[in-house]
Amino acid sequence: MAPLHSVNAAVHALAALLIQGRGRYARTFENVVLALIIFSVASIGIDSIAGLPLWATRALAIAEVVIVAVFSFEYLLRIIAAPRKLAFIFSFEGIVDLLAIAPFFVARVDTRWVRALRLLRLLRLLKLQTHMLETTVAERTAELAAKNALLEEAQAQIKAELSVARELQIAILPATFPARPGCDSAARMIPATTMGGDFYDFIELQNGQVGLVMADVSGKGVPAAFFMAVARTTLRELASHYSDPGTCLARANELLFRQNPMDLFVTVFYCILDPTSGVVRYANGGHNPPLLRRPDGSVEALNGAGGLVLGAMPGVEYPEHSVRLLAGDRLVMYTDGVTEAFNTSDEAYGTERLVAEIRAHGDGAASDLVERICRSVATFAGAAPQSDDITLIVLTWKRVEAATLP
Amino acid sequence: MNVRLETVGQTTLVIPEGRLDFGSAALFEKQLEQAFVRKPTGPAAVIIDCAGLEYVSSAGLRAFLLAARTAQRAGCQFALCGLQPSVRDVFELSGFSRIITIYADRAAALAHAPTAQP
Repeated sequence: MAPLHSVNAAVHALAALLIQGRGRYARTFENVVLALIIFSVASIGIDSIAGLPLWATRALAIAEVVIVAVFSFEYLLRIIAAPRKLAFIFSFEGIVDLLAIAPFFVARVDTRWVRALRLLRLLRLLKLQTHMLETTVAERTAELAAKNALLEEAQAQIKAELSVARELQIAILPATFPARPGCDSAARMIPATTMGGDFYDFIELQNGQVGLVMADVSGKGVPAAFFMAVARTTLRELASHYSDPGTCLARANELLFRQNPMDLFVTVFYCILDPTSGVVRYANGGHNPPLLRRPDGSVEALNGAGGLVLGAMPGVEYPEHSVRLLAGDRLVMYTDGVTEAFNTSDEAYGTERLVAEIRAHGDGAASDLVERICRSVATFAGAAPQSDDITLIVLTWKRVEAATLP
Repeated sequence: MNVRLETVGQTTLVIPEGRLDFGSAALFEKQLEQAFVRKPTGPAAVIIDCAGLEYVSSAGLRAFLLAARTAQRAGCQFALCGLQPSVRDVFELSGFSRIITIYADRAAALAHAPTAQP
């Protein structure tokens, strides 16, 4: 039993190596078979010539035995290698293989029609061609798969780096509003799937004043992210030098216009809050006017909107405006990612919904209102993808009690 | 978004339709570049008829800014017309209406465009 077993194993290994394999041995075997096919077809032709010398006829007969032996061996190996043996035997390939050797076995009588049958070996050429084609296709497919893997790897790396950039972009936003008696403020930025350019900032200024920035860079991706970083740094720097918001924006506009290779621009609302008096001085460079909720529930947009965006053109002036907050007033600054959040039917969230949300929620912490608005926008948008950053600041000012004043 | 170009005398009319956002801004910018190409001297004016424009995002605004700059360099008149109210708001809020001429409709814009060869 044992020798039979090992023969069986050896034959299977041979089938795997020569037929299923894609290596050197399989290719050599295939080439040998191809050469024999060509030779055998030629020999059939020579054989049919009348009056061949005896030695030639003998040589051809020997060659025929070798050819049929190799073909039979190959045929058996193919049956062994085939996953579905019957299917192979009755397939076009299988039948052609059998016809190439069958005449030799069934008709030891050398009649003319059997000789003619041997010509069916021509069909084997077809089969081999298919085989070689398959091998080429398999090689190309393997090459493509390798290239795809490289591409995917590169893409994954770019994605990972972009996501780091995005995290950095969010990380540089201030986490909390500077502590000031009577002030309660909260902010939030929900980034869109692609890298956007929204940002906000809280800047500690002289005399306990606080600068608040709400900004939106045009465009998306890496250019917008870079421009955002430049704009934020520029504004921060200028805020410490210029105490009036209009001059601050005008200077920032000049600087941004000069370092703007991608022709981007940024809308900026910049205000300076005096926490003791509640006076807010502001300038608006093309940004949506913030909404002011009075304690009676009325909501109004701050006037003074319509100044040009920053970075688009030199020599722009930004007039300063001011508003005095009353105890309990809430100022809501936002980017168009809030009002232009679209739902699946392509409707925008809109200013009216935002105003309604702000009107309905006068009490509670600033962070609560931020959460409520974000949730309201998310509910409205539903399954629609978030195409733009959503950014919000809520500032509530209460009258500062004399006791808390230093 | 869909953009058509038409020629009226010395003027190239650009007619965008649909939504101009980050996704369609690149296409719109390309079409706008085409609007300034005209043999042999380039158009005397480029007018963008925005009547069919439903929405403009900030990335879309950038395309208008680039076109205004191209026009300035080429010494070509540049104007918009027929803005829908919501689009008009975007131009007002961003301050773009201060730097780009806007007419109520195509007729008014064409009436102000240069007609004769200089």
